[in-house]
Amino acid sequence: MTESDNTPLLKVENLRKYFTVKDGRLFGSGKKLMAVDDVSFEIFAGETVGFVGESGCGKSTLGKAVLRLIEPTAGCVSFGGRDLLALNRKELREIRKDIQIIFQDPYESLNPRLTIGEILEEPFVIHKLGNAAERKIKVAELLKKVGLPETAINRFPHEFSGGQRQRIGIARAIALKPRLIICDEPVSALDVSVQSQILNLLLDLQKEMNLALVFIAHDLAVVKHISDRIAVMYLGKIVEFGKAADIYANPQHPYTEALISAIPIPDPFAEKNKKPLAGEIPSPADPPSGCYFHTRCPYVQEQCKNEMPELIPNGKNSLVACHFSLSSLQETS
Amino acid sequence: MIRLSPLTKKKITRFKSIRRSYWSAIILLFLLFSSCFAELLINNRALIVKYQGEYYFPTYGDMIPGKTFGMDYEYETNYRKLKLTFKEKNSGNWVLMPPVPYNAYENDFIEGEYPPYEPSLASGHFLGTDTAGRDIVARLFYGFRIAIWFSMILLVINYAVGVSIGALMGFWGGWFDLISQRIIEIWSNIPFLYIVMILSSIVVPKFWMLIVLMAIFGWMGMTWYLRTSTYKEKAREYVMASRALGASPLRIIFKHILPNSISVIITFIPFSIAAGITSLTSLDYLGFGLPPPTPSWGELLSQGTENMESQWILISVVTAMVTILALVTFIGEGIREAFDPKRHTVYR
Repeated sequence: MTESDNTPLLKVENLRKYFTVKDGRLFGSGKKLMAVDDVSFEIFAGETVGFVGESGCGKSTLGKAVLRLIEPTAGCVSFGGRDLLALNRKELREIRKDIQIIFQDPYESLNPRLTIGEILEEPFVIHKLGNAAERKIKVAELLKKVGLPETAINRFPHEFSGGQRQRIGIARAIALKPRLIICDEPVSALDVSVQSQILNLLLDLQKEMNLALVFIAHDLAVVKHISDRIAVMYLGKIVEFGKAADIYANPQHPYTEALISAIPIPDPFAEKNKKPLAGEIPSPADPPSGCYFHTRCPYVQEQCKNEMPELIPNGKNSLVACHFSLSSLQETS
Repeated sequence: MIRLSPLTKKKITRFKSIRRSYWSAIILLFLLFSSCFAELLINNRALIVKYQGEYYFPTYGDMIPGKTFGMDYEYETNYRKLKLTFKEKNSGNWVLMPPVPYNAYENDFIEGEYPPYEPSLASGHFLGTDTAGRDIVARLFYGFRIAIWFSMILLVINYAVGVSIGALMGFWGGWFDLISQRIIEIWSNIPFLYIVMILSSIVVPKFWMLIVLMAIFGWMGMTWYLRTSTYKEKAREYVMASRALGASPLRIIFKHILPNSISVIITFIPFSIAAGITSLTSLDYLGFGLPPPTPSWGELLSQGTENMESQWILISVVTAMVTILALVTFIGEGIREAFDPKRHTVYR
């Protein structure tokens, strides 16, 4: 299957995931918690899209909902032109070869009772590919690809460090030669020194296998390093979506600006221009009126408290959900 | 060869380091093993008979009539008497009897005296006899064999049903879980003892029937633990990774969830065995268990309480029960300690 460059590999439209939160009443219907609220985006083959936001903004839920590990409440996810949400179990199983996921915590994502060989063999066993001997060769290839010794095959997950375990997680994800990998904060549980190794491994594999990556992280510095485009999420919604370089150099949403100003600059004499956000992220079960960000926005206006801004094009290739995006603020002043 | 995961190895080492439990396990395993060969240790059939240059091994197989050994009867040879006769004649024929030369079903009467007979080394009744003149050592040992195997078979059935239903409740959740929970709650409230009383007043329960009956009312306990443990494991990321690969629910349950819940199951096994032995004994005590003359601790216990002046009956059976239950409980404690999730958990 090949698509031309302008057909997206993955197309997500108006995806929503609501969780019901019991409010203590026996027969109460409970509150709706909007973990992912009306999110749309597209990803092309070989491209990396970063998703950033504070914890609780729904970025992990988004990743899992795309894979149907969590069933979305509403919306449309199509992969290579096929609607994922309409597939039956057998079709879904087939398409799972093409979309894989790497998890945040490498201590949790590997079954402690299986050897590395058994863990990496599982994709082939599930899809009935090859016999035992062939699978063994494939597992050895995978280990080599992610830079682990072949002797790892008979060892158990707890014998490895966090970075090595993440390599195993990556090996499992690329086993079936997917076209899209959802990386759910793959480096945030690792030491900084190990982070860059894992990121480089991902980038190398991406080049080699023409992978599309959905890269979820709460650290804008990490995302910037590897993404082509970046989506900034706040309270279940995308507030800004554009090319990585543009977003970094010229943030349009006040929230993006605050996130970028929080990236540490490795120069003690650099001019400090931090714009720390006041307050906590509001509860997604009880979001504020109007623009969700208005409770913490330094540029808040009356309109923000009443009207929800839409995600609309602002400048070139960039989408912003703000009534008074920063470029327009600068124009008026 | 079974490859043990290092986690399992650690637990075994830890169990061995708890001496009391380790030795209890060795003693119980030895008892279990020897109970499989009880016929060689406690039996009224001889181990070896040498008669006119030929060797006979009467322990297993058909009975050998007395005529074979030059006796004047067609029914089964009385080997104890045969031994005495051979000794008197001193003709090179001999009989080797087991350490305890009595069978659990055999009534050994002494002329001019009513049973129960006191313990005596001379007669070979080391713990005396019960009210029907049956040897207590034999009754105890065969009773132990029946009770422990009964308990273990019951355990396998109970756990097979309980674990599968519990795992499904945890795995599917939702309405299935809710309805199953309520059914189990209702089912658990049926008074088991009354049901058994009613049933055994209609039919005399056999070994297998009693097991099935007790399993029908005993599988519920395990479901709760497995349900909880499945809920917990299901939410972990390695299960999600497996789902993302397209694994079937059965594969996830058997390959991922159950192996990680096994410590819950193993921890409960010894306590369930103890409970099984206790409930069989109490049913036998009340007379609703296995039909007489099956050797049983419960039956001995009731004899003992009715014949307090023959203290040896009650003392023997109570000592045996306390010993076995203590052994099982010690093992259980050791396993619980060794499998302590706080020691091996990934949640730090």
